Amino acid sequence: MPVYIDISRCIGCRSCEVACQRVHGGSGHVNVHFVGDSASVPILCHHCEEASCTMACFSGALYKDGDKTVFDVEKCTGCGLCRLACPFGVVWTDKIAHKCDLCEGLAEVPTCVTTCPANALSTDFDLASRRARARAARVAAQGGRR
Amino acid sequence: MTKVLVPTVCPYCGAGCGFFISVEKERATGIEYMPDHPVSEGALCSKGNAALEVLCHQERFTSPLKRKGEGWARISWEEAIDLVAKGLGDAIKKNGPGSIAFLASSKCSNEENYLIEKLARLLGSPHVDNCARLCHAPSVVGLNRTLGAAGMTNPIPDIASSKCVFIIGSNLAENHPVISRWIHRAKDEGAVVIAADPRVTHTSWMADVFLQLKPGTDVALLNGMAHVIIKEGLVDRDYIAQRTRGFEELKESVGDYTPEKVAEITGVPAGDIVRAARAYAISPASSILYSMGITQHTTGTDNVQAVSDLALICGHLGKPGTGVMPLRGQNNVQGACDMGALAEFYPGYKKADDSETIRYFSSAWRTEGLPLGPGLTATQMIDAAGTGDIKGMYVVGEDPANSDPCSHNVHSALDNLDFLVVQDIFMTATAQLADVVLPGAVWAEKEGSYTNTERRVQWSCRAIDPPGAALSDLEIVCKVARSLGLDFYYPDAASVLAEINRTVPQYAGITRERLERDGLVWPCPTVDHPGTPILHSSGFKLAEGRACIVHVPYRPAAEVASWDYPFILTTGRVAVHHNAGSMTRRSPSLISREPDLYVEINTADAARLKVADGDEVTITTPRGETEAYARLTDKVKRGVVFMPFHFPGTNILTTDITDPEARIPEFKVAACKISRRD
Repeated sequence: MPVYIDISRCIGCRSCEVACQRVHGGSGHVNVHFVGDSASVPILCHHCEEASCTMACFSGALYKDGDKTVFDVEKCTGCGLCRLACPFGVVWTDKIAHKCDLCEGLAEVPTCVTTCPANALSTDFDLASRRARARAARVAAQGGRR
Repeated sequence: MTKVLVPTVCPYCGAGCGFFISVEKERATGIEYMPDHPVSEGALCSKGNAALEVLCHQERFTSPLKRKGEGWARISWEEAIDLVAKGLGDAIKKNGPGSIAFLASSKCSNEENYLIEKLARLLGSPHVDNCARLCHAPSVVGLNRTLGAAGMTNPIPDIASSKCVFIIGSNLAENHPVISRWIHRAKDEGAVVIAADPRVTHTSWMADVFLQLKPGTDVALLNGMAHVIIKEGLVDRDYIAQRTRGFEELKESVGDYTPEKVAEITGVPAGDIVRAARAYAISPASSILYSMGITQHTTGTDNVQAVSDLALICGHLGKPGTGVMPLRGQNNVQGACDMGALAEFYPGYKKADDSETIRYFSSAWRTEGLPLGPGLTATQMIDAAGTGDIKGMYVVGEDPANSDPCSHNVHSALDNLDFLVVQDIFMTATAQLADVVLPGAVWAEKEGSYTNTERRVQWSCRAIDPPGAALSDLEIVCKVARSLGLDFYYPDAASVLAEINRTVPQYAGITRERLERDGLVWPCPTVDHPGTPILHSSGFKLAEGRACIVHVPYRPAAEVASWDYPFILTTGRVAVHHNAGSMTRRSPSLISREPDLYVEINTADAARLKVADGDEVTITTPRGETEAYARLTDKVKRGVVFMPFHFPGTNILTTDITDPEARIPEFKVAACKISRRD
């Protein structure tokens, strides 16, 4: 259950970055990347089914727990192999590793999802496509775009 | 350990998002979102998320200060208040009450603004204003003339029911981020979004039609759209006949504004003008959102009138999903204006040059000799300080030395004052010029009501105490007033609000008891009135209940590109900073994301200037020069450059030529030249 992104909605305001940093004691786990002149996309842990970071982590600090990729700070050696293994650049090592924990124990819904002013983030896999399908259906019913 | 959640209203933009501050052992320990808030629904932008960083900042003033040689000495409240009373009192004695001027604050609560303007007027000075002068003064003048009321006509959540959202001169995605969610919701329901801006922005990312016009050509664009709408018969004839006057004059005056001619003036392709005009006119409910891109021009009032003309001829007013929406920039700029902290209005937009107003407030305040206005505007006060006509100033929570145009002149004008008292939370550029500094409180350290951009009055509670000897601004204003012999005994904000209920008709029913959670939207004339989220649904508060369509010819901006100054500089805001930056530049998680002043230059222009991305460049206008980093981008067209105004350098460059009516400076257009620093 990662956080899903509707890129058409992201307005690049970086509130997810600041909010994540705020609730995680200063080290945030999401970065907004700017693409071209006006598009932007927040990048954060995908909680991959086959997570390279967990395979690289020899101490067992990073492991799969159901559909989440979780992190046990007590076991982390700070080696940085997870950072090298992650194909998306969303695991960092500052002495010890840190990555998106879906705000477990901090909030019921990940903080970035609640704070996003544009509703670009959600934990609902299907939301963006439901919105797109509804838009398309409406346009088709109207007989095309005005 | 007990944790208390205190509901507050965000201190940054005018959207008025709510959030809780969690307080443990009288310390603010965190932010909790407010999912049932009517505007933000729990969301907060980057600035809101970082708000506590300002609250507990180490550079906050903790005691009154007086100037001592080149530095400052900490003094007691008694000494500070004596100095203020003497400074202002001497100026009044020597030169009359007209020689002192007051700047109220759009960061402060309604109650505080009400007391500041009351203080000014009871002392006999008509000169009280606030920084609305630098943002929405043209909306006050223009919309009062055309629609009879200056506020946003419809509430923010209402945008979701719009079928066409026309955003002109507003980068709301960065400046009012939560409004984006309502626009996306409208889009989900099939709305067309049109954005007009000289720059490609995150707002234009949301748009179906993007009109990239040249800075300062808004009237031409709007007239062009009106031309298309009238020519193609897309106007709402019944609405025009029943609710408006002046249509025939408009029809005649926009006759020449063919899409081809307008395309030449604005740089927007004629086909796009036609598409936008049709989309706006045909939709069953269209709203127009605008902001500083419309107002900060020498033609600001014209721009606002042209915007409301468009809404009037299509009948897009007074219903859900329609409206004219000036988006306010600060948390309480709407409230500061409502409370009469404006040169031309007493509280409740009662005209300051009307003797009836003077009679009304003389009896309400049990006094005599209230000054007939209009007083000097914020921009005129600075000029008058420079010429010596104003001798003393009391500035609350504003930083004209940074936020006013042509800032070298502002510095020397403020320096020229006999006495300057600044009440603020940080050592701003203006505070540095003061004789006495009074330490105020931020939003979470005091209680009071704030009015957001949609006229929603919300109560913000006190979470913690101000640092050190700092006091709430209400207490300070009362102390100053009492030292000048006035009868200011207000124990708390609620007692001031009770007086506002009696003197400001729009707020008559907005009592402290009723201000729970969702707040109330003015006008709210009685204590059982539910508030008025949508204005103008049954006519206008103008003669015969009709709105005025005011035709406006296109006038070019005051400055145009020339051989010596070949670029047009336009200014604006970025997502992680706010206004003059005295708060956000001190907020670590914000300043780290946008640490330096930069200038956006088109890549083709940069190649000709031999400037690479990240190079240090000097930007020069006849007013002065500033250094900034070059950011190469195609967001701006060739010949246009952009700088954010959150850093002290930007307003050294801007022009102090103002709109003839609203007196707003043209921050959005200045001719400049750029050279690489080697």
